[in-house]
Amino acid sequence: MTMGGFDESSLEKNTTLLVGSRGAEASERVSLPGQQGKIRITEFLIVVAQLALLAFVIRQFQIESSAFLRIALLSFVGFMLHSFLPLRFRQPFFLLLCFASIGMVFGLPNGAWLVGIGLLLIAICHLPVPFSARVTLLLLTGTLLAVFRVDWLHAPWSRAIWPILGSMFMFRLIVYLYDLRHEKEPVSVWRTLAYFFLLPNVCFPLFPVVDYKTFRRTYYNDDPYRIYQVGVDWMLRGVIHLILYRFVYQYLTMAPFEVKAPGDLVRYLIANFLLYLRVSGQFHIIVGMLHLFGFHLPESHHRYYLASSFTDFWRRINIYWKDFMLKVFYFPIYFKLRTWGTFQALVTSTLIVFFITWFLHSLQFFWVRGSFLFAWQDVCFWAVLGLLVVINAVYEARHGRERTLRKSSWTPRGFAALCLKTAGTFSVICILWSLWTSESISAWISLWSSLGEKTAGTARLFPTLLVAAVVLGEGASRIRGSGISKIGQPRPEFSKSTAISIASLLILSLAGIQEAYTRFGPTAATLINSLRSGKLSRLDNATLERGYYENLLQVDRFNTQLWEVYTNKPLNWLDVQGTGLERFTNDFQQKELIPSFRSLTKYGTVSTNRWGMRDRDYERQPSPGTFRIALLGASSVMGWGVQDKETFEWILEDRLNHENQGKPYAKYEILNFAVPGYQPPQQLKALEKALSFGPDVVFYVATGREAQRSTDYLIEVTRKGIYIPYDYLREIVQKVGIEAKTAEPVGLRRLEPFRDEILVWLYRRIVQGCRERGTVPVWIFLPMTIEDPWQDDTATLFQIAREAGFVVLNLIDVYKNQDIKSLRVAGWDTHPNAKAHELIAGKLYEALWEREQDIIRPRPSTFSQQSGSQAAGRTGSQTTGGIVKDGRN
Amino acid sequence: MEEINETVKAYILKEFLPGENPDELTDSTPLITGGILDSIATLKLVAFIEERYGITLQAHEADVENLNTISYITKLIQSKLSSLGVGSGD
Repeated sequence: MTMGGFDESSLEKNTTLLVGSRGAEASERVSLPGQQGKIRITEFLIVVAQLALLAFVIRQFQIESSAFLRIALLSFVGFMLHSFLPLRFRQPFFLLLCFASIGMVFGLPNGAWLVGIGLLLIAICHLPVPFSARVTLLLLTGTLLAVFRVDWLHAPWSRAIWPILGSMFMFRLIVYLYDLRHEKEPVSVWRTLAYFFLLPNVCFPLFPVVDYKTFRRTYYNDDPYRIYQVGVDWMLRGVIHLILYRFVYQYLTMAPFEVKAPGDLVRYLIANFLLYLRVSGQFHIIVGMLHLFGFHLPESHHRYYLASSFTDFWRRINIYWKDFMLKVFYFPIYFKLRTWGTFQALVTSTLIVFFITWFLHSLQFFWVRGSFLFAWQDVCFWAVLGLLVVINAVYEARHGRERTLRKSSWTPRGFAALCLKTAGTFSVICILWSLWTSESISAWISLWSSLGEKTAGTARLFPTLLVAAVVLGEGASRIRGSGISKIGQPRPEFSKSTAISIASLLILSLAGIQEAYTRFGPTAATLINSLRSGKLSRLDNATLERGYYENLLQVDRFNTQLWEVYTNKPLNWLDVQGTGLERFTNDFQQKELIPSFRSLTKYGTVSTNRWGMRDRDYERQPSPGTFRIALLGASSVMGWGVQDKETFEWILEDRLNHENQGKPYAKYEILNFAVPGYQPPQQLKALEKALSFGPDVVFYVATGREAQRSTDYLIEVTRKGIYIPYDYLREIVQKVGIEAKTAEPVGLRRLEPFRDEILVWLYRRIVQGCRERGTVPVWIFLPMTIEDPWQDDTATLFQIAREAGFVVLNLIDVYKNQDIKSLRVAGWDTHPNAKAHELIAGKLYEALWEREQDIIRPRPSTFSQQSGSQAAGRTGSQTTGGIVKDGRN
Repeated sequence: MEEINETVKAYILKEFLPGENPDELTDSTPLITGGILDSIATLKLVAFIEERYGITLQAHEADVENLNTISYITKLIQSKLSSLGVGSGD
């Protein structure tokens, strides 16, 4: 039985015609019955079963985005219908799916704009005017679109469509025009439209440059079952790459300042390069999905970590890009220059290709992110890589390179050489990659100072690297030893690879079920659980947090995961800076809230009282019988993202007064001194102000990474040239040799040994200041609304707080059993929303009464009839001198 | 036609696959997609063809559709020679 109305006998005949994995190209010029697209029902069911498992894995592991799951389901269901259709209807049907995917992701109006702009660009390619006129018109249209892209003109469509529009057209138009000029085949409207609006594109801004001629040539050029099965295999491979990427991203990546020893450096370099798994994973999924619709495209990446030379690396990584460069630039330039001589033409055309690659990457960056990229790291990366490839190419041109039609023979010498070459290439590319992805060249240079450090692990490093080199060499040896597939022979490994795919899908499906993976023990279960979502790493969460206050929205150029979070952010989204809520103080504190400020934001009213607190108005002195709490913290405590009456401080104060009036105090007040972006050292200044209002208790709210934030801040003020008014902190900064010109990672690395010590000093100072004035210092841990709220340093933090003398309240379970994503202001803004503030207020209320004896202990003199002198004892007139002055001043 | 085929095959064996069994290289062995002809080898082959047959190839002709197998290469040379009014020598 067959699908598509063909009989089995003709299919058997076709199968004998079909060739090995690379043999499909050989049959391009014969009319293959495979081009009629039929498939046996059993084979169809095998593919469908694998797609069902794949969909389950994509869902369970939350591969990429929720939009991608919808598109994957659309394409899998579409595949089933597509397989039944007569061949002539398949491309129109595929196009229908492409348009449906655009509508599903962008909605009707924006999707229509995207399609409309695309149709306009395609129409220009076919205008009945000279070729040069069409190119000119396309450039003009591109310029107009660029004007919209940078918001010089207001576009009536969403900004979200830009990355996808760019990825659909910016490179494919070049290839299409090139082929249009040289192509003899008649143009097919369906094929052309399908080429530009390719189905999975709508979820992937970084889409491979598909060659139009290859797209046309490989359409159903093999047995459909084989094409579909290869598609499933590659999608599975892509999913595995993406899961591996998550492991690297979550567990192996390091910040430059964390690199302190040679072993750290090796880990940093390798992890950085391994992050590329995300790109190769996406490309495999994209190309695999296209196979389901008969597009038998070649592999986009081929074991690039096992390249044994720089030219080999260039041929294996992003093969579509390499082919694009060869076809449109390298060959045309070389053919024009070859009268200069082979050597000169080869060198010049290769260098020009690398220059164009750099430029086009910058252009891609422009359409994807809206600004043109120019960074010295990029220039250096492409220049050095170009140079290495040129040297390698010239060597190969003169001496040739090893090629074989058979399985390679193994010799110890050959294997050792291969190990060395593969490990050498891998190492150099890792180093180059680290330069490319570094924040700055000075930050990159600072990494290498770690080479001089000797640690316990340094001795083990060399043997480990040696073993790694042998493993790489063995991998490279295996892929070279396979030889060329023979034409006319069925691929013997095909059924085996299908079986492996099915087994892998079953394992991944099981691994994606919580009831199954929790049986592997807590460590494995925690690991698998962490790989099941695309959450931000600890480093990116820190960057995201910094981004609120330091306008770091450009983020790292290669930080795609964090950038994706930002892309969802509307252009007019209100940031802390956007309200005009703050003013600069030109001292260590740097900023404070403007008194008597009022703004109507999208969250509701954001206002401050006459003292510059985001709060109701209070008198400087508490009235008799009042229990006053001063609250210190940053934006989460200030209540960024909610209106005045929704902050946990407001809710808690109301509740204290409604439920406890007269028990034991006549009135409760909580004064909110929190300021967005305040780091622990700035809280010393906030404390000075808070104590001047005579509180009974100071609530210091920590949200994690306190020690790190403290050193970050000291680096920040030093680099800005701001005077540090505390002898102890200033001496440490001077002792480790940090100056205004010190690179941030260098400064952080130097301060790292003092991190906890600095925090201990800060906490003790706060406690001392409070105790001296009879105020109870309370330290509250409030977790952020992120998946893993800085668990790595939480235990130490608690210990430091307790030892400093704080009364500690732990709110770590405040979001327990809640969907953490539903408690944030937005995906790109992890401040607690109104619901989260309610939870915090409730939990804090409970915690407060649990420690009643320590915090709200009855003090006869302070309630009912508090004497004026006692009240004055807690007023600023007696507390302002000294508290923030260093004891040694 | 046969002469072209043999000449091209001999050149590929000598230049890019020294020591290989000639029987392993058939008319339909994929050269570009099979990794035997990379960009540099492709340019060398083009230079050889142009010099040997006195024809000129364009940059856009140096692709999979024309050079991926000995059979394709032969057809390309044949068509170029035909357009010049030169026999193939069969």
